Amino acid sequence: MIRKTLLFLPILLIVFLSSCGTKTEHPNRVVIGIPADVNTFNPLFAFSVDEGQITELLYLSLVDFRWNENLGELDAFPMLAKSWEWAEDSSSITFYLRDDVMWSDSIPLTTADVIFSLDVYSDPVVNSRLYGSFEDYYTDEENHIDVEKSFLVKSDYELQINFKPGSAPKLIDVVHPLIPKHIFDKYDRKDIETADANFNPVTSSPFVLKKWDRNQTITLGVNENSFLYNPDNINELIFKIIPDYTSRLTQLTKGEIDFMELIATEDIEELKNSDNVKLMTIEGREYDYVAWNNIDPFVYQNGGGITPNKFFGEKEVRIALTHAINRKEILEEYLYNYGELAATPISPIFKSYFNSNVEQYEYDPEKAREILTKQGWSDSNNNGVIDKNGVEFEFTLNIPTGKPLRTYASTIIKNNLNAVGININVESLEMGSLMDKLYARSMDAWMAAWYIPIPIELKVFWYSDLQYSPLNFGSYQNVKADEIMDELTKNSTIDKKKELYFKFQEIMHEDQPVTFMYWTSNIVGVNESLRNTGIGPYGAVTHCWEWSVEN
Amino acid sequence: MNKEFLKAFLKRIISSLLTLFLLISFLFVLIRLSPGDPTQKFISAEFSPELIKKVTADFKLDRPLYEQYVIFIVNIFKGDLGISYNYRMPVLSVVWQFLSFTLLFASLSFVIQIIVSFYFAIKSIRKKGTRFDKVVTKLSLIVYATPAFVLGVFLIYIFSIQINLFPSSGSKSFDFDSFSFAGKIGDYFWHLTLPIITLSSAGIAMFYKYLRDNLEETYQQPFIINLRASGYNEKVILKRHVLPNAIRPLISVAGVDLGLILGGALITEIIFGLPGMGRLMMNSIFERDYPLVIGCALIAGLLIIISNFLADLLKMKLDKRMIKGLMN
Repeated sequence: MIRKTLLFLPILLIVFLSSCGTKTEHPNRVVIGIPADVNTFNPLFAFSVDEGQITELLYLSLVDFRWNENLGELDAFPMLAKSWEWAEDSSSITFYLRDDVMWSDSIPLTTADVIFSLDVYSDPVVNSRLYGSFEDYYTDEENHIDVEKSFLVKSDYELQINFKPGSAPKLIDVVHPLIPKHIFDKYDRKDIETADANFNPVTSSPFVLKKWDRNQTITLGVNENSFLYNPDNINELIFKIIPDYTSRLTQLTKGEIDFMELIATEDIEELKNSDNVKLMTIEGREYDYVAWNNIDPFVYQNGGGITPNKFFGEKEVRIALTHAINRKEILEEYLYNYGELAATPISPIFKSYFNSNVEQYEYDPEKAREILTKQGWSDSNNNGVIDKNGVEFEFTLNIPTGKPLRTYASTIIKNNLNAVGININVESLEMGSLMDKLYARSMDAWMAAWYIPIPIELKVFWYSDLQYSPLNFGSYQNVKADEIMDELTKNSTIDKKKELYFKFQEIMHEDQPVTFMYWTSNIVGVNESLRNTGIGPYGAVTHCWEWSVEN
Repeated sequence: MNKEFLKAFLKRIISSLLTLFLLISFLFVLIRLSPGDPTQKFISAEFSPELIKKVTADFKLDRPLYEQYVIFIVNIFKGDLGISYNYRMPVLSVVWQFLSFTLLFASLSFVIQIIVSFYFAIKSIRKKGTRFDKVVTKLSLIVYATPAFVLGVFLIYIFSIQINLFPSSGSKSFDFDSFSFAGKIGDYFWHLTLPIITLSSAGIAMFYKYLRDNLEETYQQPFIINLRASGYNEKVILKRHVLPNAIRPLISVAGVDLGLILGGALITEIIFGLPGMGRLMMNSIFERDYPLVIGCALIAGLLIIISNFLADLLKMKLDKRMIKGLMN
């Protein structure tokens, strides 16, 4: 009897001791579940999506942006700058800063911080994420901003930024999260990357870093002296690191976390039955595609020569492949229609620039066979696989491991292409290996996705100069498309831009460099009591100082 | 004797250091030859192509492999494992942040494995052939065969979701800092109960099986009959004669087990979201954080060597005849 009591003693002890802690009530606390920890709180080095989200909650910019649902573009609104004024010829912009902004250590934020931030962002010694991105500024041969030429300080709160003649700067390219000069100026530039200040941030936003338990939680508290502080809104924001997806989902359902992105479609029904979770979607930021290497990988790897791929070098064949794949089936059966079919790389969310006249290539195996036959592909030896000039239409489709959607889609694609006489072998590759092969342009075909930037960015994905466009893995080349992309980098009217984007989409549709599969939705689970989250295409975790909890 | 022991001890140290050196050298070359590149994350629509050139040069990845190796070896001898590409901190600082949790977690699990397995093994052998013995033996096989991730998910489902008795992840509560000292201890135990059970179960089953079999074998030795005939009671026979003989083979196994769990319990850490060496190692491999991969491997290797050495010392203490074996 005594022994049995002793056996239960540890359990009783655990329950008793755990109740000894003072459990404080936190009605205005929100907990967000994220899959991985961050490595820095300095926006200079925020390379991952989570790092970007969190650092932008701590460090504000001169101007902030919101998504305009009606126009399908970003609206700028004042943040650290109360107003700004472009010169008539866009050769300069003048910012008028707020004079009531303090860093969280009570030092005023001034134009000196703006200049210092841009100087450091462009400094080659620092290795910031924006290094090399300041083409519109006066820079030296190492792409470092020339501070003397670029900035004219009119006062502590008025700053003129000058741009190179012939450049076409946009507001979004000019504003970046500012860092405090009085903190980072103490370090040698080469030591900023490893500075302690990166982990103990002095912030300009209504949030301050309260506590960081590595790989556990990041706790943000509020700065009541901030001009954005609102006592009715949340006063504590916790990012809880939960690497396992199922654990995140369980905790969302139980109410241990209040917010979670990238919910799988198969879990939607279960969440709909939950009383404390509502589902929201972010549309049109990511699309899946099947890439057909437009050039011969073997020739490219042995000498860098550009010759058309023996299978996918002709656009008619690529169009036939798109006709052969039942994209709608995957969208309905796996994604439960959370998403829509894609026709070009321009998302439907960009309402002003989306060309709805571009028609989808419908699933039509007959048409696919017809096109392939016209291009000289036929089953000359009656073995079920079409051939041309003695080469059978047989290739490997590479997909990344650990992506259930792509595994499912590859099975459908394999069956669909078999039905038109094409034999494919599906091979899964670990992401690192897949990336290596992508950069080497050594594969014939693969399946992947693109998360598209806002505003629209095309050159890095589709420009013919393969050195300039490192993400143009399929080696698509079209001179007319290049001209349009070059034209879009210049300042022009909205109507002109619309005309260019529409034309670009027509070219993409005709050339079909890849098979555009579907735009997938980012399904976000949010606690029912959370208000004002403003979830939209610009992001799920933005402007969190505006969030409130209905008790 | 002391001189000989010291010589053997030094020999052991040197061979251990050589093993570690070969391990990290091999790993250095292997990770650089395998697919993937730490600079890949710097290629994005949002970053300039100039950035990746800069980063490649700063990481010295544009230099020939042999040159990178020479720089690496020179730094190792200075005690510098380099800076983590992702954490932007010295590798040893990063490792220490995760190692401290792993040391606590693994040590706790190890102690529980030993205590629980000993208790059940001794009780089983005393009740040999009874229902208790049969049930425990069968249960230990089932537990041993159950993968850790299955057990972990099952425990979460029952104790966290259905009964809501324990949390499903994390090592402490959000309000941990406001707790009293007793509350903090309780909070840790509350959070680590399910992970400890997950990590320890297979070890308990393994030690139980080993010990129970060894006890049974020792009891069948002729000298036990002699002891009984001489009038020794069963308690004394078990404590002074059977146990010391039965646990000796177990010590080597325990040394290996301790070394392995000190290196990180990856599956348990992922399921329960714990900040340990297993996750650190896995993330550093996926992100191709070369200096950190080597740092983690070095520490894990060192811990395995130390725990094996401790196991050998313990064996030696129990049986002086082992000293010669240790020296050899």
